[in-house]
Amino acid sequence: MVKPKFYDLNVHSIPDGKNTSSEMAALAKHLGYSGIAITNHSNTESKPSGFEANNLEMFRGIEVVSNNPSKLHGLIGKYRNNVDVLIVHGGDEDINRAAVENKNVDILAHPITPKDSGLNHVLAKSASDNNVAIEFNLDAIFIGRGGRRVHALSYFRKNVEIARKFDVPMVLTSNAVSYFDLRAPREMIALAGLFGMDKDEAVAAISTVPAGIISRNRQGSGFIREGVEIIDVEDTIKVKINGSGSEPKEAGGSN
Amino acid sequence: MKILPPTLRDKKRYLAFELICEHDVTREELLREMFSCVGSLIGDVGSSECGIRILTFEDSKGIIRCAHNKTEQTRATVATITHIGGKRVIVHILGISGTVAGATKKYLEGIEVFTL
Repeated sequence: MVKPKFYDLNVHSIPDGKNTSSEMAALAKHLGYSGIAITNHSNTESKPSGFEANNLEMFRGIEVVSNNPSKLHGLIGKYRNNVDVLIVHGGDEDINRAAVENKNVDILAHPITPKDSGLNHVLAKSASDNNVAIEFNLDAIFIGRGGRRVHALSYFRKNVEIARKFDVPMVLTSNAVSYFDLRAPREMIALAGLFGMDKDEAVAAISTVPAGIISRNRQGSGFIREGVEIIDVEDTIKVKINGSGSEPKEAGGSN
Repeated sequence: MKILPPTLRDKKRYLAFELICEHDVTREELLREMFSCVGSLIGDVGSSECGIRILTFEDSKGIIRCAHNKTEQTRATVATITHIGGKRVIVHILGISGTVAGATKKYLEGIEVFTL
């Protein structure tokens, strides 16, 4: 069996987090990731700094924050063409619903609301139809303690059950705000086992599902051909030769 | 007492790990934190089944022993270690082996611990 490539699609850097993108990338590389997405919150209004990394794929992402569903749809439209990964900051009943009903959303992050798991059969059906992945932010388990962790575990367990039934894509992320919040892929898979995700599902949730999201979006505006893409069209056209490229075996892996 | 024949002995796995941290951590500090995390995540019953034990720890590298069918649970448990002595850390499992010699040779010798 080929060793899978692992991706963490929800990582925050300065100013959302405490470390720069390159510091996060260096550690992620060491831990065994093939790529990470820097997804700062849309309301912090700044570009992540230090966007260079050796031998690690870096994806541009955004975590869209809004407390109003119609504004959320507007923001999604605004950011969609500029990013590889579009995440919606969930956790509110209306926002969760708006996110899973929008085809332009890649991932609904931490859907757990103060009252419930944030996912039901209606939302799961929409998420499955629109191919919106549900995030399991494992920081709730490895950083959380006591009651909060117990709640996170039981809601995650419920969400796995619902997602499985409706065939909703699942992703495992660290939701890291500091490099000490990153965990190696194998550890992430082991943590996913704590709430009933089986090994194959967990491996897919951190490798083929994220890879599918990236390859789906990379063929957008800046995409020229496999391994060649325009990364900055504003001042001069710079063409980045992407050494590793995306290999064909992952094409359509998420569906 | 006579020692158990090999077939009746507990089967074990040895996990080689590195500790990624900004400050040096002593074995005692790691031990205390690890057992607190084990207790909080899997409790007394789980701990007894896992049989987690730190065998060696020096230069931020070491070996943890656990029951042979509990490696995933052990991994998950050590992943929940976030602070030691008030400082942030990551325990990164480098590999799993069936013998201490194997784990040392394959995963620990000549490995440079990641420095921040």
